[in-house]
Order: sequence, then C-alpha cells, then structure tokens
Amino acid sequence: MVTSLASRLLEALGPDTVRSSPEDLAVYAFDAYSEGRLPSVAVIPRDVREAALAVRIAFECGVPVVPRGAGSGLCGGAIPAQGGLVMSMVRMNRILELDVRNRRARVQPGLINLDLSRAIATHGIFYAPDPSSQKVSTIGGNVGTNAGGPHCLSYGTTTNHVLGIEYVDGQGVIHHTSLDDPGYDLTGLLVGSEGTLGLVTAVDVRLMALPESVRVGLAAFPDVESASEAVSAIIAAGIVPTALEIMDKLITSAVEAHYHAGFPLDAGAVLLVEIAGPRDDMASGEAAIARIAQQHGALSWRSSADAAEREALWASRKGAAGALGRIAPNYYIQDACVPRTKLPAVMHEIERIAGAYDLQVGNVFHAGDGNLHPLLCFDRRDERAVRAVVEAGTEILATCIAMGGTISGEHGIGYEKRDSLSLVFDTDDLAAMGRVRDVFDPQRLFNPDKIFPSGAVCGEVRAAAVA
Amino acid sequence: MSVTVAPRIVTPANAADTAATLAACARDGAAVVTVGGSTLQTIGNAPRRCDVALHTSALRGIRDYDPRDMTAGIEGGTTLAEIARVLAEQGQWIPFDAPLPQRATAGGTLAAGWAGPRRAAYGRPRDLVIGSTIALTDGTLARAGGMVVKNVTGYDMSKLYVGSLGTLGVVVRANFKTLPRPPTRRLAIAPVPEDLRDRTIAAIGGLAIEPVAALVIDGYSRIARYPGASLRLVLLFEGSEAVVERGTRDVRSALGRAGIPETLLHDGADAEHLFGEIVDAYIDAPGERTLTYRTTGLPSTAWARTRTSEALARQNGLHAESIADLRTGDAILRFSARTVATFAARLAALNGAVRAAFERATVLAGGETLRGSIDAWGPEPTTIATMRAIKAHFDPAGILAPGRYVGAI
Repeated sequence: MVTSLASRLLEALGPDTVRSSPEDLAVYAFDAYSEGRLPSVAVIPRDVREAALAVRIAFECGVPVVPRGAGSGLCGGAIPAQGGLVMSMVRMNRILELDVRNRRARVQPGLINLDLSRAIATHGIFYAPDPSSQKVSTIGGNVGTNAGGPHCLSYGTTTNHVLGIEYVDGQGVIHHTSLDDPGYDLTGLLVGSEGTLGLVTAVDVRLMALPESVRVGLAAFPDVESASEAVSAIIAAGIVPTALEIMDKLITSAVEAHYHAGFPLDAGAVLLVEIAGPRDDMASGEAAIARIAQQHGALSWRSSADAAEREALWASRKGAAGALGRIAPNYYIQDACVPRTKLPAVMHEIERIAGAYDLQVGNVFHAGDGNLHPLLCFDRRDERAVRAVVEAGTEILATCIAMGGTISGEHGIGYEKRDSLSLVFDTDDLAAMGRVRDVFDPQRLFNPDKIFPSGAVCGEVRAAAVA
Repeated sequence: MSVTVAPRIVTPANAADTAATLAACARDGAAVVTVGGSTLQTIGNAPRRCDVALHTSALRGIRDYDPRDMTAGIEGGTTLAEIARVLAEQGQWIPFDAPLPQRATAGGTLAAGWAGPRRAAYGRPRDLVIGSTIALTDGTLARAGGMVVKNVTGYDMSKLYVGSLGTLGVVVRANFKTLPRPPTRRLAIAPVPEDLRDRTIAAIGGLAIEPVAALVIDGYSRIARYPGASLRLVLLFEGSEAVVERGTRDVRSALGRAGIPETLLHDGADAEHLFGEIVDAYIDAPGERTLTYRTTGLPSTAWARTRTSEALARQNGLHAESIADLRTGDAILRFSARTVATFAARLAALNGAVRAAFERATVLAGGETLRGSIDAWGPEPTTIATMRAIKAHFDPAGILAPGRYVGAI
C-alpha cells in the first residue's frame, strides 16, 4: 500500500515534490514536541493543484495526510502519529493578493507570520496575531492552532483575523469559504481545527492599521504574585493594553544574559505592558498603569516610546523560551488559560506544585489573557525528573481546570493533550465535535490521533456521532 | 411556503428542558422554530413547516459575570437591553450593535449571525463569543469553549452555531468577552453631494482617528436627519474624550477641504439614541411594501453598490434607499413601491437584477408577502454540500426550521 502510494505520488508529482528516502523523511518525523514517528512519504507541493492531487492519491490509498508548517508546534500537531504522508507547506509561502485599501490579503499557508507584517509595513498596516514563534511559524500553522501571541489581548487571536479559507478535502476537491458567504461559518470551524478537517491551501487575512503611537512600560515586582495582582487590577480598571506579559526572575535572567534588553535582574518578576493607539491616550494610559503598578508593590517603572528599545524588549520576550536553554537542558512548557482574576491564586499553586516535586519552574506568560506558560526545567537523562515533570504538569492542569480554566490557550491539543480533552469536555460535548469531524473527514485520515481522546472515550465519541 | 396553522408555543424553563423539548419534537417529527425577540425573524426563508414555536424567554439571566475577568455567561433569551444595563453598571459592554435591543435576545442575535456597523472597530458578535452551550435534537446539551479569553481546546463549535438561524440547535447559553464601555461618544452628520463621492471617501480614509462606523445614508428620512439633504455621511466616534474631540475636529477640517463645509454633531446619549435608530432602520419595513437586501463585499465598493441599486430601482419603477458602510463593506439596499401589489408585479424582475448585479445579496427584511415570493439567499455557496452534511449530522430528522436556511436547509 505504502509503496504504491509513494510510486503513485512520484509518478504524478515528480521527485522534487515527493520525498521518500529515509534521510529525507527523518526531517518530518518530529515537530517541537518530544515524540515523533517517521512518515512513509513527504510531499512539498508548489501550488494548490499539487497539494490537492497528493491528498486525493493518499486518501485513495487510505493513507493519513498530516499538514506541516514550520514544525514549531509544541503539542505534536504536526507529527505523523499513524505514519503516512506529511504535507510540508513551506514552498507555498507567497502573498497572493494584497488589497491595501480594504486591508486584506490572500496568502499561502507556508508564509512565515513575521514575513507578512514585514512585507506590508510600508503601507502602514500589519497582521495582528503575533505568536512568539512568529519568526519561524507559518500562517497555515497559526490557523491550525488559532495562534495567539502577546498582542491578542486587545487584537484577538487568529480566528478574529481570518476572513476566508481555501482548503482541500479528502477527494482532492478545492473549496473556498468566506465570512461574507451566506451559510454556516466554515471559516470559524477550520481555524483551530489543527489540520483535522482538511488541508488549508490559502488564507484570506484581515490587516489592521498600524497604531499611531506605541508605548512599552516595564515594571519590576518583588514576586510573580504581586505582578499578577497588578495585571488583574489593570484589567479591572477598564484598561485594555495591547499586551500584558509577565516574566519571572528565572526567565529574565536567562533572557538578559542573551539579549541584554535591560531587564532588572533583582526583581522577582517583570511586567511588560504595551499600550497602542491615538497619541492623545498615551500619557493618561501610561500614568494610570504606572499608578496601579505602584499600588501593587512595583519596585520600579520604566517606559519607552523609542521603537528600537521597544523592539529589543519584545525580541527578548518572544525569545524567552529559547533562552531558557541556558538554564536547563530540557524544559516542558504548558499552555493553560484561566479567568484573569484567578491569576494570583494559580501562580501561587504552580509555585507550590513545582516545589513539592523539587522542580525548577520558569514563568513567562500572557498575563492579561490569563494564559499561562509555566516551563518546567529538567534533564531528559534523569528519569526521576522526567516522571516529576509529567506528574507536576498533570497537577498544574488539574488546578487550572478546577479554577474554571482550560488546558490550551494557544498551542492547541495536538497529540500531547488529546487524552486531557475529556477533563474539560464530556461525551456529549465531544460528540458534537465528532459530528463535524465526520462531515469533513469521514475516513479520519486528516491528521489522525490529534485533538480527540484515544481509546474508550474515542469509541464513545464515534458511537454517539453515528447514533 | 408560509405557515398556515398556528404553531404550538413551548417555553422551556431551562437548558435541560430545552434539550428535552427538542428530543420530543424530533421523535414526533414536529418542526421547531426558535423564537427570541422576533426582531430578526425576517432573515432567511419562511420555514416550510412550523409545528412548535420554541420561545427562549425563560432562559434569561447573566451568569458568572465578574467584571474583573471581563467575561460574562449569558442565557440565550436575555435581552440585549438587559445585558447593556447590567454591564454598564460596571463600565463595560458587549457591542452587539443589533436592532431593537429592548426585544432582541443574545441567542437570537447570535443565531441570526447579526453583524452591525460597529464591527469594524470591535469585531462581530462571533468574535466576542468565547464559549457556548447548545441544545441538540438528540436531547443532549453540548458545550464548547469556556470562560477564558483564549482557548484552543477542541473545535470552535460556537462559530458553527452563530449564524445558523436555529437550524442546528438552540443556543441556551453563550459566554462573551466584555469590553470597557467607551466613555465618550459623538456622532457627526454631514450632507454629501454625489459628485463629491470620491473626495469624501478619500477624506475619511485619511483620518488618523478612524471613526468606529462610517455610513453614507440615502433616503431613510427618519434617521440621521440633516435639513435639506438626502445623502448624508454619518460618522460615529467612540473612545476617550481627547480622542473623540480630535477625531471630530480632524473630520470637520478633512470634509471641509473635500468641499463639505457643514457637519452636525451629536454627543453622548443623543448620539447613542440616534445611532441606535440607524441600526434599527436596517430591518425597518414600513407598510409591508418594502424589501431590504444586505449586500456584502469590499468596503471600497459599498457606495458604488448603492448607486447600482438606484439604477435597478429606476428600471423597475421602484424607489431605492440605502446605507453604505464604508468600513465593513456592507450595503443595505431598501426598495419600495406605493403598494404591495405594484411591488409584487416587479419583484421577480428586481430580484433577478439584484442577483445579477451583486455577488452576495441576501434578504434582510421586508413585507411578508414580498419575502415569501423569492429565495432569501441567492446562489448557493460552493461549500453547500458540506453545509448540508452538517445539517444532516446535527438535525437528522430535519425538524429545525426546515427550509429556512441557505440551499433550502
């Protein structure tokens, strides 16, 4: 079966598009998650026609198709869990149409997030979703996980910026959705579906006018809890900055050693606040935020209207996870999201849990959204530490759910968290999702073993969906 | 097409009761139409059958609202006015931007997929929904999303239910992001000569402070009045006092340079009331002798579409009015005649011409007779087979508002 798949693909698309040698395939076994599996074939289409043909052939052979962008996903969303075909979208990386006046663009899914905003900046517009991975991650991958980023506090996540999608179904038929079309919002369903409903081959994105003014403020706090209290108070005061990010001492020290952006090293936590908009609002907004920070124990406050300084701060924030390599050989990053008022309590709990398992934990997170990213540091060679990380991670997730939160704010469920999905949703909830899966992909060949729980629960989902 | 037998009215007491009602109807093959405030029931086709009118009026209330979280869980039958009142006490709002908020419900506004002129600034209601509970015809209640503002936990099912017009289930609860209520509001109304169209559009496009809404209204004489002008530009500014002040100052001088010397300004509650009247007018159908289409498309083409509609009206001996939304790209086109009978005689010709002229035009409101004689949706989207399959999976008995939706779903 697999041999015939590779040979059929080769015949149809040629050796430059279709790769099947073991050394070529090794590249596609992993993403940024720890486990992986070799695919039997990789296809690197140049256009939607090639992509559609490859999907059709794979489905005819009964072989799974796993879409892949940059492979920067943290939850195993791009690993070929059942083997099969990995569809790498990296060659489809062009801006197909740009309509500056109407502030929209049609882009290919392999386009790197940051390349889009860079390409259009001269027109005074930008693409708002900015995941920390934006230097490498692709628009298609961002669509798959409904990616967020520091600035989604005021701009919203990827789903709020996608106006339409071109996708290929299992028959290799090309469809186009649009928010302007009458009928069910298929666009909204496809965003965040992690490649399980079809292969996204183009995305219509909404672009925004660059703000007139931007200020970034940096407050130092004695600890993460007081910084979290300040965040809650800023939101409660009716101020919605464009970003509210916290980094604890472990993270700032790692980041500062690498980026030299000027983070205070004596603080237990730093709060990075960005406000953007008309220049008239800057002084009052900044003053209000500085006052709240001071009321919550800020040790210092520094603000910057200087673009270079601002960019240095953001570059180091977005590089935080990478910089942690200075501290531990491995880390495990979580992505829970809790109601904003629960932040101080949940930060307290995370510290307690990490302490109980004797783990070093770093916190760098989208505080304004309640989106946590505790990084549990460990050494993969230490079996005891690996076990501790898994157990502590589970405990942290359970704590977040108990506080009214959820298990993924922006990274997705992927392969890693699929069995945790039933901690959040019951069989009826999952059955409704299963119906959508059945509509789009009755053969369940688009990115199998993702999102939906495995084993018995999955069986229940299927039974309920069929009933 | 139209409903001849009065349907039985059922008012479920809670979410579980709603699901049980749907299950019973599915068992009996009874067609169900969900009724909220009946403000947007004119969207879509009249259902082929309606045995049960399921009223959501008992599903009322705002749950789990902690203003510090800036999220609120809202039961489907809660009116928009009640939501606005409760949130305003905390300095917050959800910009539903829908007509007749005293009657309109959260569930109905979502089900209708309503998206008003403020969406360019605040997003559509769909963009503010972070979770939902839907009652399905198999008697289950399915949740999606949650009470957090970022969530990639399974499919974003709430998006599917928004705009589904009661054809998949009943939205018994939706969770929303709330926003800080803008402290200052100002409405600017200016007369626009048609020959200054391009200059007006350019003047607005160049504003540093973008208006929350930018409309060009032709006709609709009861709203946004400006003495002696048929064609009026309406700009809504919301935000801090300083920003609104600068916005209006800038727009006055920009319009002045474009050749429009006069601008009327309305502040605060007055501005809110006048803008509310404009949004109400989207679905206003006086005397049954009007028919209103919503066309969607690029913002740059909205105004031109209203000119086309005027020509179509002239060719058919009808009268045209319009609201062109320069920020969202909507163009609301209202056609009217002196009597229903004269309109009815030209309806087929007009509808054909509208379909030919505009890529996307759906019927938004109008007289029942007129609406009942044409398909509300126009050409099926290319994804119609997928939509039919969704319907079949969620409502296999086909009891929910049969025939109301696009493609006779």
